[in-house]
Amino acid sequence: MQDLGSGMLRKGCFILATAGLLLFSVGPFGWEVLTSIKPSSEIAQSPVVYVPSRVTFEHYVALFARRDFGGYLVNSAVVSSLATLLCMIAGMLAAYALAKLNIPGSPLFLVIVLAVALVPPIILLIPLYEMMRWADWINHRGALVLPYAALNLPFATLVLRAFFRQIPQDLLEAARIDGFTRVGILFKIIVPLSAPALATTAILVFVFCWNEFIFALTFITTDAYKTIPVGIAGLSGVTSPYEIPWGLISAAAVTGTLPLIVLVLIFQRRIVQGLTAGALKG
Amino acid sequence: MGKLPDHGFGLLLLLPALVLVSLMVLYPLARNVHLSFYEKDLHSGLESRFAGWYNYQRLGHDSRFFTSFFNTVFFTGVSVSIELLLGLGFALVLNASFPARGAIRAMALIPWALPTAVMAMAWTWIYNDVYGVLNDVLLRLGIIDEGVAWLGTPSAARWAVIFADVWKTTPFVSIILLAGLQSIPADLCEAIRIDGAKAVQGFRLVTLPLLLPSMVVALLFRTVHAFGIFDLIYVLTGGGPGGATETVSVYVYYNLFRYLDFGYAAALVVATFLVLLLVAILTYLPMLKREVELG
Amino acid sequence: MKLRTFFYGMGIGALVIAAAAMGWTFLAGPGAREGGRAGQKVVISALMHVDITGAWHELVARFNEENPDVEMHYIEGPWSTDTREALYTTSFLAGESPYDMVFMDVIWVPKFAAAGWLEDLTDWLPPEQWKEFLPGDLEGSKHQGRIYRVPMYSDVGMLFYRRDLLEAAGLEPPTTWQDLIVMAQKLQKPPQLWGYVWQGKQYEGLSCNLLEVLQGFGGSWVDPVTQEVGLDQPEAAAALQLMHDLIHKHKISPPGVTTYQEEEARQIFQSGNAVFQRNWPYAWVLAHQEQSPVKGKVGMAPMVSQKGQDGSGAQGGSGFGIYKYSKHKRAAWRFIVFATSSRAQKFLHLQEGRIPTRHALFRDPDLLEKSPHLSTVYQAFQNTALRPPLPNYAQLSDIVQRHASAALTGKVPVREALRRASAETGYVVARAAEAKPGQ
Repeated sequence: MQDLGSGMLRKGCFILATAGLLLFSVGPFGWEVLTSIKPSSEIAQSPVVYVPSRVTFEHYVALFARRDFGGYLVNSAVVSSLATLLCMIAGMLAAYALAKLNIPGSPLFLVIVLAVALVPPIILLIPLYEMMRWADWINHRGALVLPYAALNLPFATLVLRAFFRQIPQDLLEAARIDGFTRVGILFKIIVPLSAPALATTAILVFVFCWNEFIFALTFITTDAYKTIPVGIAGLSGVTSPYEIPWGLISAAAVTGTLPLIVLVLIFQRRIVQGLTAGALKG
Repeated sequence: MGKLPDHGFGLLLLLPALVLVSLMVLYPLARNVHLSFYEKDLHSGLESRFAGWYNYQRLGHDSRFFTSFFNTVFFTGVSVSIELLLGLGFALVLNASFPARGAIRAMALIPWALPTAVMAMAWTWIYNDVYGVLNDVLLRLGIIDEGVAWLGTPSAARWAVIFADVWKTTPFVSIILLAGLQSIPADLCEAIRIDGAKAVQGFRLVTLPLLLPSMVVALLFRTVHAFGIFDLIYVLTGGGPGGATETVSVYVYYNLFRYLDFGYAAALVVATFLVLLLVAILTYLPMLKREVELG
Repeated sequence: MKLRTFFYGMGIGALVIAAAAMGWTFLAGPGAREGGRAGQKVVISALMHVDITGAWHELVARFNEENPDVEMHYIEGPWSTDTREALYTTSFLAGESPYDMVFMDVIWVPKFAAAGWLEDLTDWLPPEQWKEFLPGDLEGSKHQGRIYRVPMYSDVGMLFYRRDLLEAAGLEPPTTWQDLIVMAQKLQKPPQLWGYVWQGKQYEGLSCNLLEVLQGFGGSWVDPVTQEVGLDQPEAAAALQLMHDLIHKHKISPPGVTTYQEEEARQIFQSGNAVFQRNWPYAWVLAHQEQSPVKGKVGMAPMVSQKGQDGSGAQGGSGFGIYKYSKHKRAAWRFIVFATSSRAQKFLHLQEGRIPTRHALFRDPDLLEKSPHLSTVYQAFQNTALRPPLPNYAQLSDIVQRHASAALTGKVPVREALRRASAETGYVVARAAEAKPGQ
């Protein structure tokens, strides 16, 4: 939204900043990618090998051949999608309620939401595990969907609430007068206006679910239902169980992250900037 | 249903969120608070024996807890500050119009998208003194003479851990701030430019205040996440060297799964939670009030 | 108008229910219990490490074949032992654990036994048959004199050396620390070639390294019977001081050794960047792989010690226990007997290089032919160092780790670190003793 203007100095600073951003973000990841295509013997060498003697895809092949990595991808996708959906819906409704509808005692609800955000997930592990055992939901993907949605609700609710509040009240008043129902206002006016916030929140929640480890590890022990992080933790050396298979792990990290990057690429195109300008006219 | 007054309807909309959260979080939390008043460890044969305030008294004398708390505060304060600055800078860059913006935005998210446990392992390896990439690059650039053990001394380890965390979570901040920047109405930006105000002034007087809500949220959640950080530290240093990077959640984890001291771990969590709640209320509520005033 | 809204509502409601139902079945997993009955068979299971070579799956298949009324499920867990311990713990706490057999590291035994999660197996075998197992492994399977675990794999800390470098200099492998230090100083060329790499990171491996040095000085950590703490004794000070000096005074260990676990030390040694290494026997197998730069140049010997004392390596290893509340203990026992038999252990060694736990196998000609290093390892088994077999060992280990790490990184002087460690250890031991008289 900002035009940084012309001027060589400005442009130079900008290019420098962008380069810095790229180096920062991609650097260590680039190292992972490089490692994933190096032959095993060259991985932990000193001095460091930057250009491998030969590029090999054996780690990627091993990933899908020896372990059911494709299955892990599917599991992660299912769990993350459903959890994100659940979280976004509940969060949107709650944020709308807290932001625009006059609820008695809304500070109390905010404190509750805040309090939930402060709970360290590790202490939820054992009680939730017992709960899941009781519901016979161990090795059931639902055992992950509900906790993930709940853990991200405070975040979704508070972020969306902050963005919803920015929408001018008169706009909503006008809509009411025009005959919109409250739910209609939410879905037909507020949602389009908050597209950046919604997309952002959804992406961040999705990534959280995708990479969550402790709950996934504890609630799912059958290989067929494992998610990616748990799958990676189960990778072992080719020749010995003590060996940490760097090549394999790097390949897994790269493969596991690619869907997320693609997702972001898709989503961010949907954030069309002109939306906000359009709605405010008239 | 359309006949319900606003506040009733609002409560209805809140219901799904409340139910989910009560079941998955509040109930276990309540059980945890309950457990903190009992002794449940190997000494009690893992039976719950009522112990009143015993665990809290123990906590009051536990220097290891205070050290871990201090470590956590230090870690959180420094990390979040750096992330906020860096995140804002990145958000500004990403907000501008330039070719391949979409691809660069996706790339900027990469650190956040990588699974923590894997990246933590990669960091131990990058930081290695003999075959680590960091040392290799610095040696080649002539910045250092010999390999540094980045995780090998308490002071260096603290900063190494902070850097690894900043690397991972800056995208989280920048993407939220980016969304905030994009929500600033286009005509407002137009207006500033037409008025001839310099970019910096416009930023300070208009952009920053409008960004405040998103900054507050980003700040809040980053602080909370940073305070509860576990995976990164567990893999990178295990809390070492010499306990220098041991944070509260690491200490809680050890009490739970290594020492099987469940009553005490529950008390640790409750104590930390209360402190955090206090801090959050004290900082967030005033901001809330300001929000309400600003309309 | 009202009718239309009503039908709208019904339609949407039906859609939602249908979607939920589809989602439910889509989400569904196979359900919880791994144990129980599958038809007429008794199903037993254990959480174990990843089966990379497929050897275990073969073993399990053979067992299932030979025992048609039992079906054993081998559940693969993460490769980190600590994580597996947490998984076992969580499942036990929730009651009615799905695991019938407990595949345990040696340091878990007292803790799990004291927690009441393990079946006392002492009387399940006559004493002569227990004696067929290595003494160190057997000791590590006990809690208060009763046996809770049948040893499956064994492990002991060993000293590795570059045979080619020593031979070129006309040196015999060292038996004392003094010898090692002198040799390392002579042969090393830091930073390309360091003298001695070991595990100095703040984790369980540090406790092992320290215990080995400590026992090599004739000192002790905590006496399991008298509960006396040996950390404030001169031997302990000498031991920790030595480790500190390896880095800072003699400079034969890189300063980064305080960040090394097993893999880091192994990588450095295997790449040819170290003269001596302390590690577990698995490093031997890997050092002799095809692409290893040090293939054929490596020697292995028991750990060194102070002059006049016996060297001892830390006792490691894993074995099977039986979950106290398992409904299929007899079936579980049958599997354990099968898995720990000479036949199975020999098979596993030939497939994966696992160190057996039975005396007889160390004299087996087939094994010795494939792995001549087994005789060196057997020699080391004559005098292993067992970490204090107390239920709260984890706490004791953490205390020692933290303070030793502080001393090694120069943050705290050695004497002071040991004073604190000793005080904290004494406190923990005393609290444990008073809380449960005779438990």
